[in-house]
Amino acid sequence: MIITRVFNWLTDGDNWKDSHLNTGILTQLEAHIRFTGIALAVAILIALPLGMLIGHTGRGTWLVSAANAVRALPTVGVLVLLTVIIAPHFHGRTDTGYLIPTEIVLVLLAVPPILANTYAGIDNVSPAVRDAAAGMGMTGPQVLFQVELPCSLPLIFSGLRSATLQVIATATIASYVPLGGLGRFIYDGLAQQDYPQMIGGGVLVAALALTTDLIFATIQRYAVSRGITGRFPRGRPAVASEVQSAVLTGPEVSHA
Amino acid sequence: MKRKFLRSVTAVAAVAAVAAVGLAACGSSDSPTASGKSVASGLILGGPPEFKTRADGVPGLEKNYGVTFGKFTVTDTGGPVTVTALKNGQIDAADLFTTDPSIAANDFVILTDPKSNFAAQNIVPVINKAKATDGVKTTLNAIQAKLTTSGLSALLTKVQTDKQDPDAVARQWLSDNGLAATGTAASGVSLTIGSANFPENVILAEIYAEALKAQGASVKTTLNIGSREKYYAALKDGSLDLFAEYTGTLLQFIDASATATSSADVYAALAKALPANLIELDQATAQDSDAIVVTKATADKYHLVSIADLAKLAS
Repeated sequence: MIITRVFNWLTDGDNWKDSHLNTGILTQLEAHIRFTGIALAVAILIALPLGMLIGHTGRGTWLVSAANAVRALPTVGVLVLLTVIIAPHFHGRTDTGYLIPTEIVLVLLAVPPILANTYAGIDNVSPAVRDAAAGMGMTGPQVLFQVELPCSLPLIFSGLRSATLQVIATATIASYVPLGGLGRFIYDGLAQQDYPQMIGGGVLVAALALTTDLIFATIQRYAVSRGITGRFPRGRPAVASEVQSAVLTGPEVSHA
Repeated sequence: MKRKFLRSVTAVAAVAAVAAVGLAACGSSDSPTASGKSVASGLILGGPPEFKTRADGVPGLEKNYGVTFGKFTVTDTGGPVTVTALKNGQIDAADLFTTDPSIAANDFVILTDPKSNFAAQNIVPVINKAKATDGVKTTLNAIQAKLTTSGLSALLTKVQTDKQDPDAVARQWLSDNGLAATGTAASGVSLTIGSANFPENVILAEIYAEALKAQGASVKTTLNIGSREKYYAALKDGSLDLFAEYTGTLLQFIDASATATSSADVYAALAKALPANLIELDQATAQDSDAIVVTKATADKYHLVSIADLAKLAS
């Protein structure tokens, strides 16, 4: 039964540790997280400020469409092309020549969802809220960072999470050029006709994607203001009445 | 919301369980024993993924020569990734194909295989018995007599590196080898010649086709068919009549339990293994087999000639 064999492959300790010929799951998992982490960090550094700027100023929206068009590029094709161009320039015991093309490809994948969602999030902040902020005397950057950004966090997180899932899943193609990562098990399993290994690799990628998404969901839960999510501790009065009572009791307190 | 959260918790628990099992397994790690440092133990071997498990891959090198590399890195199947990695020193030895033009182009050294770890892969025409008239046989066997590994590699350079047309390269080769004479040896025979989807096999099919045409045969070609699974079936059912094959891999394909490795043995075993309607003609000396290849610098440094030299103690 294939499921049993996949389970056996996943639970076999020898598959988790490195030996002189095999690179174990832990090492490949670490490599996979490394590729994903670098790509996401770079993508966030590019897409988040850019998206905020475009959303705040309303200028350069064509950039968002252009970034979305990049999504149409065939990832493996770009990877192979870049590898053929870049890899021959690196000599000696280094995989930089393969790492750079892989990261470029992953960043290209991660930027569009983050950029589009950041832009959309900022752009969709209610004009009334923006007016109120300006009316209170907030400067442009203050409006952006203290009003628009917090208000658009749910959308930004959703872009970030979809980018993360896509990068984790796509990072398997790093094994197409000779890099590690969990894709190694998928490619090698196919070539060696070792299907439990191949499916096991797929299961690990899925598990990593789910875990990461869960972590982001948790961060999002605590990062996003309760005023936006409407999430309040249970067993306490509803929002409106709470605010109302505060308004009503306020003057009385000051009188006393 | 609550149910979604519970579902997430279940997922994370499953992941944690898997990770815990893995971590526990890691606790009991035993490091590879490095007793008596051989040359190979300090080197990295690169090759296709299946080379790690294939009978003539890493296990074969260990069994036949006692050669254990320090590390095996997956590159690709005798392609540009492997060549670049070997050239740039990401790997020290590589599994490449003997006809690969990049071996000569980069001054790589093919290590000899005296114990026949790699099965012979001589080029042999496999032909439908009904089409194998004496004239056809003579024509094809004359070609077989002239095909050498280095000659084939030179043809590949013309097609792969210089981007010449395989058909033109085939015709040029025939006239260079005095085989371009026209005649009537094969007149009245009509054949369909097939080829697999890699340049070398296309060139061979073109050479056969041009020679048979010159001898009056009516020839149709179906090139770049794809993998052996596809074209072998066509050969068997008679929709293809002639194919340039490789003795070792074809034998292994027909009979997975075959153990012959030397040229003569494989050739004889293949003759028996072929179905009744197919026969093999003469095998050429040209071989397109796997080989362990190192750079000239590595070969000079450790005085490497044969694969066995990799098992020597490093000085």
